[in-house]
Amino acid sequence: MTLTKRHSTFAMAGVAALALVLSGCSSAGGSQSAEEQQSEQVDQAVEDAASAECAYPVTVTDMAGNEVTIESADSVAVTDNRTFAVLNEWGVQPTAAPRTLMSPQNSWAEDETILDTGSHAEPNFDQVIAADPTVIINGYRYRDHAEKMQEAAPDAALVEMDNADLSPDEYAIAQVTLLGEVFCKQDEAAALIDQFHTAVEDAKAAYDPAMTVMGLVTNANEIRYSNPADGRGASIFFNLLDLTPALDAEGSTNHQGDDISIEAIAESNPDFFLVLDRDAAVTSDGETTPALELINGSTALAGVPAVQNQAIYVMPADYYLTEDIYAYIDVLGGLQQAFTEHK
Amino acid sequence: MATIAESPTRVTNVTAGRVTRRYSAQQSPLRRYGPALLATVFTVALLGLSVFTGVADITDTAGGGSDFLWITRIPRTVALVLSGASMAMAGLVMQLLTQNRFVEPTTVGTTEWAGLGLLLVYVFFPMSGLLTKMGAAIVFGFVGTMIFFAFLQKVKLKSSLIVPIVGMMFGAVVSAISTFIAIRFNLLQTLGAWFAGRFTGIEVGRYEPLWIVLIVCALVVVLADRFTCAGLGKDVATNVGLNYERVVLLGVGLVSITTGVVTVVVGMLPFLGLIVPNLVSMVRGDNLRTNIPWVFLTGIWVVTICDLIGRTIIAPFEVPVSLVLGAVGSVVFVVMLLRTRRTNVG
Repeated sequence: MTLTKRHSTFAMAGVAALALVLSGCSSAGGSQSAEEQQSEQVDQAVEDAASAECAYPVTVTDMAGNEVTIESADSVAVTDNRTFAVLNEWGVQPTAAPRTLMSPQNSWAEDETILDTGSHAEPNFDQVIAADPTVIINGYRYRDHAEKMQEAAPDAALVEMDNADLSPDEYAIAQVTLLGEVFCKQDEAAALIDQFHTAVEDAKAAYDPAMTVMGLVTNANEIRYSNPADGRGASIFFNLLDLTPALDAEGSTNHQGDDISIEAIAESNPDFFLVLDRDAAVTSDGETTPALELINGSTALAGVPAVQNQAIYVMPADYYLTEDIYAYIDVLGGLQQAFTEHK
Repeated sequence: MATIAESPTRVTNVTAGRVTRRYSAQQSPLRRYGPALLATVFTVALLGLSVFTGVADITDTAGGGSDFLWITRIPRTVALVLSGASMAMAGLVMQLLTQNRFVEPTTVGTTEWAGLGLLLVYVFFPMSGLLTKMGAAIVFGFVGTMIFFAFLQKVKLKSSLIVPIVGMMFGAVVSAISTFIAIRFNLLQTLGAWFAGRFTGIEVGRYEPLWIVLIVCALVVVLADRFTCAGLGKDVATNVGLNYERVVLLGVGLVSITTGVVTVVVGMLPFLGLIVPNLVSMVRGDNLRTNIPWVFLTGIWVVTICDLIGRTIIAPFEVPVSLVLGAVGSVVFVVMLLRTRRTNVG
């Protein structure tokens, strides 16, 4: 009791000291305002130059290969959930978007000023009509709704975001490049792509090809297999990092993974599990991951090296809702750390 | 043939179960024990096959493959036995209580109600254990089935086909509510995953709750005569001194426990309770007391065969047993419907 009390006193003192330092800093900053203003002016000038360089109308080739001319980006409807985080980072706020499909981490998820077009299972096109967009960024879960989106906003430029021919990493880069062109954020796009490449290189350097990896999808108390070629969740990292699959069997591409007997997982003896936990996205408590409980609780998997060394990487809880370049960079960072730890 | 034998067996069965057995005792031992012996051999062979089917080599004692015998194979086989026997039994009990051959937990909505209970636990207490989920599934299954029974008593339905149709509609409404809630809470795929019956993840530590249904099965065997009486209708049952309402309540309770436990541990096993009791009564008539072992055995056979198909056709992957059962079951269902039209059974 006394100990905790003393600790809290120390903590209080620490906070007070920190506050003092901070306030000192801010007042010091105030005196340098002239210099800051100047640099702001420079920034403004750069921005002006950038927007002048790509003033609307802009003609781009979208992911489906169509030439689209965008008259203005005054009102943007976005449905592809892989673009939410990027656009949020760039400050391109949509007027309509399926907020239902957004990660709770995204500040837009609770933003009532963005009209919610609902989930792909139950889209609400009235909101698109109300938003009267000039540009529609459509794809992924909404890919089958492209026609309806266009009908709801006949004058809008429809940018399709689907291209099955590209590998996931090629796609991620092409997508960010395209978004950069559409919203005049080429420099930001280039920086983001650089960041992605660096993350890939770092993770690759940390990985030892002798380590066999298996992708898993966990959901509703079941452990499923995510195949290394095109399975949901894990496959992109198999491609990017040349991971050695513990079991190279062709499976389905669907979002649930393949039903596989727990024996087959155990028999392939993986050194590392790369797990997409579908339940984590919906459970409010971000601390506990049902996937870890499920995998560690399994008697059949107890002898597998991945479990014995706890070489299990569970993707971020909202990965299932984002699957964007930021999520990739996040996972790559996590993998790099995990690979280094278990080398 | 079975049709003609049906009605006399039913009437005498109430008091004369013993007489039938004495009569059969006069037959030659081979005729008396032959089928039972064959069935036992067949069951043992099937379960043996189930134990030896899988990815790991369980004869390999050196490499640790044999560990899987107790970790996955035996548990999986036990799970097949318990869920197959109990769901077939649940179908049988429901068919007696409703006096309708097309009624079973998946055609009356019991499973859908159990699923709704499960879903609500998932939404409000996502971190709760398997027991809470099971409890909710059982309670919801019970309430839902009682609502259906109350409806049946209010509206006297003459046609035997209308009852399951009403039941399926009832189930569809409940499942629509579940789907709505699931969409709202982003649980649609979780709901689907829970519902698909599969034995894929069964291993030590995951199947144990299924032992509960063993107790339920034992109770049904003990109470077989009462359910048979209730199966003759409320008037007859009351005449022979049975508290009809209590028997119905007990029957629905036992069916709900079975359905709840099996739905949570394994998932939905469609049509099982429908196919099995009908197959058995086509061959043997309608004496519950002597039929019940056959219902148990046939239930085990059907589930085991379906699961063996499911785990071999696309190995190392598996097809959920509910998918195989659904395909087989719907064919049997249609055949039965056509047969009913022709001979006016039921």
